Amino acid sequence: MQETLKVGISGVRGVVGASMTPRAAASFARAFGAFVGRGPVIVGRDTRPSGRMLERAVVAGLLSVGCRPRLAGIAPTPSLLMAVAAEGARGGIAITASHNPAEWNALKFIDRDGLFLSPARTEELLDLYHQGDFPPVGEGELQRETPIEGVVDRHFRRVLSYVDAAKIRARRFRVAADLCNGVGALHTESFLREGLGCEVVAVHAAPTGLFEREPEPVPRNLGALSRAVIEHRCDIGFAQDPDGDRLAIVDERGRPIGEDFTLAFAVRQVLAAHERGPVVINLSTSRTVEETARAAGCPVTRTKIGEIHVAGAMARSGAAVGGESNGGVIVPAVHPCRDSYVAMALALELLVATGRRVSELRAEFPGYAVAREKIPLSATDSAAALRRLRRRYADRRPLLLDGVFVDFGDGWALARRSNTEPVLRIEAEARAPEAAAARLAEFRAAALES
Amino acid sequence: MKTLRLSNFGIRGFIGESLTPETVIEFASAFAAYLGGGRVAVGRDTRASSPMLHAAALSSLLAAGCETLDLGVCPTPLIQWAVPRLKAAGALAISGGHHPAGWNALLLLGPDGGPLEPAAGEQALDLYHAGVALRRGAAEIGAARTVEGLVEEYLEALERRVDGAAIRAGRFRVVADPVGGAGCAALPTWARRFGVDLVAVNGEPSTYLARDPEPRPRTARPISSILRALGAHAGFVFSSDMGRCSLVTEAGEPLSEEYTFALVADHVLRRSRGVVVTNVCTSRMIDDLAARRDAPLVKTAVGQAYVVSALRDERAILGGEGSGSAALGSFALAFDGFLAMTLILESLALDGAPLSRRVRELPRYEIVKRSVACNPGEGYRALDRLRERWERESAGAFDETDGLRMDYPDGWVHVRASRTEPRVRVISEARERAAAEARAEAAIRAMELDL
Repeated sequence: MQETLKVGISGVRGVVGASMTPRAAASFARAFGAFVGRGPVIVGRDTRPSGRMLERAVVAGLLSVGCRPRLAGIAPTPSLLMAVAAEGARGGIAITASHNPAEWNALKFIDRDGLFLSPARTEELLDLYHQGDFPPVGEGELQRETPIEGVVDRHFRRVLSYVDAAKIRARRFRVAADLCNGVGALHTESFLREGLGCEVVAVHAAPTGLFEREPEPVPRNLGALSRAVIEHRCDIGFAQDPDGDRLAIVDERGRPIGEDFTLAFAVRQVLAAHERGPVVINLSTSRTVEETARAAGCPVTRTKIGEIHVAGAMARSGAAVGGESNGGVIVPAVHPCRDSYVAMALALELLVATGRRVSELRAEFPGYAVAREKIPLSATDSAAALRRLRRRYADRRPLLLDGVFVDFGDGWALARRSNTEPVLRIEAEARAPEAAAARLAEFRAAALES
Repeated sequence: MKTLRLSNFGIRGFIGESLTPETVIEFASAFAAYLGGGRVAVGRDTRASSPMLHAAALSSLLAAGCETLDLGVCPTPLIQWAVPRLKAAGALAISGGHHPAGWNALLLLGPDGGPLEPAAGEQALDLYHAGVALRRGAAEIGAARTVEGLVEEYLEALERRVDGAAIRAGRFRVVADPVGGAGCAALPTWARRFGVDLVAVNGEPSTYLARDPEPRPRTARPISSILRALGAHAGFVFSSDMGRCSLVTEAGEPLSEEYTFALVADHVLRRSRGVVVTNVCTSRMIDDLAARRDAPLVKTAVGQAYVVSALRDERAILGGEGSGSAALGSFALAFDGFLAMTLILESLALDGAPLSRRVRELPRYEIVKRSVACNPGEGYRALDRLRERWERESAGAFDETDGLRMDYPDGWVHVRASRTEPRVRVISEARERAAAEARAEAAIRAMELDL
């Protein structure tokens, strides 16, 4: 199962040395280059040791079809998305498996508007790839690869000009930052220190791509960050994923507040201090976020899971803020993509604006608890499980936007196939942790009964 | 007919058609599998497609967990010289060499810097055909390191093989045309070391070829027209990988590329004794020079891989081909244009004669080179018709080391299908030009090929 290349709306993912090979990377880059047309294509990567290997293959593939690769090197994914739009590139390829384990890597395809390829455009690209219709150009039409400077600076400048950076600097926060040995290890300390005047205690700060913690910024992986927050008496702890699009927050007592609250903090601060407007969240986002938006008098839309679905719906509704339950905050005024840097800046700005501690703020939000579980299941077994759930909860009229979403009044449950791994994800939300766990168990049993 | 050419020492193909990043990736992976990983060097020339192929090769080597030494733009002979010095298990040289625009090639080099031994190359080729690739997991991906400063070290090593002081004292003025290729950067450094007043033509690195990159009298025409006016002592025209060169005399006369190895052999054999290696279709000047100095002469199939392989096996002092290439056994297992140029200047310095007189002192032959375009199948059938004809006429007294060669008291004819182009090549050499031409024509007629 791990041998297979996963091809989908999150790009092309595989296990390095098994399915994610130089050949696969070069061929997909060729297809992408032929798809977007000759011209500049931004290429960047995270810190994984396989990054340079795949970057070389991607460069060769892009060159072969007449594109001009512009190399950003190791840069946060949101920086790359912004660069594509700002530089007028034909597109971009981000080489990162984001929060997937170290043995994975992936190519994520960026369209010329600076968003990931839409599902429809992804289908077209895959069709082109499978038909093998990406003829190489002759020697006379070959372009050269060139480096591109200032990609990360541009991104940071945009974030810093969106928030009231002067006020944040004046507070001189002490921040612990878990950089996950990823792109953050090269860029985040200077963002927090020079950009936001923070004193920074960095954890997992070697930019090696050899992850000293599991790369997903979920509570069970944040032990070292919690200890750093406590030991250094920090105001807040931030945990990034390897490519810097997602953020988790730890309160001043070292307790992870849950990734849903990264988005809840951001929504509250954007609607209060920046712009009131529609809020877009995905199906698995906590009702806390929904109620935060409603309290500010703003409408909420739920979409399928996946950054591109949320970003697309945000563009259609002219949303002020939105994102995903996994710590992905999107502020279109900065750029319509998940961005851990805008999430950090907004969280600090919220602390300044309210004068409260993180734990106090967390307590002000409506109390919901989410339970989540990943069940290893093949695509076909996942489909069967979803059919069982649909039948079992037919009387509750499940939402079938993405998997099976069942509304229980005081919370919800969702089962869906992962876009990125061969697993079935099950989530349940309720008023209290025990109730959420019970609902999850019930949903799980219904999905797997034979 | 710009198809991919696979051989046991590399691949060659046309950009935009047969030679794609994927092909290079697979071939480099098979090479890494053959080596079993380890330290591997990679370098390239300046052609527009070389960075692309370099990126593809590097990706494969890293995926195979190789410790990759990136030599960047580097003359192929310099890569070859560097492989044992860098203690690498092997190397990949990316260069179009003497091939026309649009072509490029990947050459596999063994741990001694020579093209992979034919038997070893076969293994690598088998792995390629079987689709075997060496790939490591995420934790064992290789690292790439850039290697710099090789040129100075290389030139120091070169100077240990020649009389540098004599060359410097000769205060030579040289016109050199490296065709905007891999040798551009090293050429001025070479000139400074040997006190040479260098006039470089096509001396800036270029992604495009300013001329046909095959060293030949016709490609030497631009420099031959300015050489006398500049008062230069010699002119050198190189291939884009710096592996081959042909010469222009101080009088502005472009020389057949056959003279490069002959001049080197004449010079080296005057001062040292040992085995000489050449291929079956190099000028009889070499046979005569070797006989004159009692040097054993070994003949091989055509191509650097075969000549260098014999150079290694026979512990020969000298190897080379009539295509304008020479290798010194004590220096490196490589056809090396810098070496040939330096040795020829040394011979001028030590013997005091101008180049045109050195040429006149060589055994005199007339050589005729023809090539006829035809697809490979047609070429082999044509060769078979000639084989039948010669079997009837000579009772089989001809050589089949590589293609067909018939010897006559005053010369020889050699016919072979090119391994790199869809052509049959005919070389005929004789004391008299008319005889050489007549024999070439006769061979072409016997093959029933239309010119």
